[in-house]
Amino acid sequence: MWHALRAELVYFRPWLLGGLGIAAGVGALLMGIIWFVPDADGTPGFLPEMFLIIAGMVVSFIAQSYRWEERRARLLLAGPLTPRQLAGVTVLLPACLVGLAALAALVKFGLFALVTGNFELANLGFIGAFTGEFLGYAQMGPLAQEATAARRQGRGRAAVLGWTVFVGAVLVLGATMVFRNAIQGYLGQLMVVVTAMAVTVWLYEGRTDFTR
Amino acid sequence: MNGHQPRTTAAARLSGLTKRWPGFHLGPLDLTLEPGTVLALVGPNGAGKTTTLNCMAGLIVPDEGGTEVFGAAVHPDRPDYRRDVGYVGEENGFFQRWTAGRNLDFMAELLPGWSQDRARRLVERFALPLGKPVNKLSRGNRTKLALVAALAHGPRLLLLDEPTAGLDPVVRAEVLDVLWEITEDGEHAVLYSTHVLSDINRIADELAFLRDGQLVLRTGREELSERWRRVSFRLQEEDVELEGVVEHRRVRAEHQVITRDAAATLQRLTELGAEAVEVSRMSVDEIAVQILKEGHHVARAES
Repeated sequence: MWHALRAELVYFRPWLLGGLGIAAGVGALLMGIIWFVPDADGTPGFLPEMFLIIAGMVVSFIAQSYRWEERRARLLLAGPLTPRQLAGVTVLLPACLVGLAALAALVKFGLFALVTGNFELANLGFIGAFTGEFLGYAQMGPLAQEATAARRQGRGRAAVLGWTVFVGAVLVLGATMVFRNAIQGYLGQLMVVVTAMAVTVWLYEGRTDFTR
Repeated sequence: MNGHQPRTTAAARLSGLTKRWPGFHLGPLDLTLEPGTVLALVGPNGAGKTTTLNCMAGLIVPDEGGTEVFGAAVHPDRPDYRRDVGYVGEENGFFQRWTAGRNLDFMAELLPGWSQDRARRLVERFALPLGKPVNKLSRGNRTKLALVAALAHGPRLLLLDEPTAGLDPVVRAEVLDVLWEITEDGEHAVLYSTHVLSDINRIADELAFLRDGQLVLRTGREELSERWRRVSFRLQEEDVELEGVVEHRRVRAEHQVITRDAAATLQRLTELGAEAVEVSRMSVDEIAVQILKEGHHVARAES
């Protein structure tokens, strides 16, 4: 499984780097504007970091789409992987992509703090909150995909469960915005990520068709 | 090669294999494939060939029944059987933006039993351009890549879903040559789905006809070509009943028939006093077309 996951990460590395590059450019532009705008306080807050994490989430959706289109399950099922391990790759790939983007956000935060001497602890908290939120949204793609596959394969109850968890997860993620940067928010996001991953793995294991 | 099982074990065994989709029902299929055999699965589009192969490869879980490969049950949760299976489908899941070589490197790490030497020999044999991204490869080269990936870990059962469809004649001949060589040792078996009927003559030992999800006939290639004949003759009788005839055309006293039992037909023609009897052989692909065209009743009579 780890070999497959590593290969997927290497395969999608150009997209991730491209996405982070674009996000960094937009962030820099924003910082420049804020810097020169009269009456602004001169700090762009957490927005540049947020763009970086969003880029990771967007790349995770792109990766999911390409893997589906390229029918990766067919290739991986030529080897000794079980459906659970394949599902593991499916849920860990978006987590890794968002995680790497969050790492980039932390690096940016650290560098900015070093250069300006302005260390905003609250912004660090927001990086954590956005990471949790976008990790949650990144897991919605595989979950929706597996719920749809379950419906197509005639596994009605599994499909209903999948979509119920999907809707519930989106609602919880919405609610966590109220508690952003608070313990309730983090716990809500953690619950969403873990539940979505577990249900996606369970749905994947129940598949009767691995041709995509 | 994974020569763990005794030679007597069937390369593949389908027992009551059944799969239902909305508007389509495959099976129940019962089929045994012995080592050293090339079995062509013949049928029109939508007959269930791809679904059968996908079930055998463990990509689709059947509703009922199952498949064994060299004695090991085929199920996605128990991947041991995959050591013995090489599968080439229309889509093979490669990393499209990676080069063919990089994809093979990935497969080399993924598949136990991968032989770099075997892979290199196949690459050279096929003149596969390793440096090109998969999405820039021609269809023929993509098929060659899939064949290298399917063969380099030394599987004893090769499942091929229309591997020569859309290939130019030169590439097709190369692919068929390699398949023929693989089965020469008597240890390997190939199940080959096709509707390019000219391929059958080249490599298939046996044919299985699939129609509307049902296996309507399984027979040896030689057996078919020995019995089927095209016969033309002159006979004044209008309503002539001939044993084994599946197609009968008549213009005045000139008749032309296709028979699945040449001996019986010729004997009857002698009894009737037919004149100017001419018998010609039919190619296996012509016979296959006839069986598919005429449908279940021909197949049942053959069985």
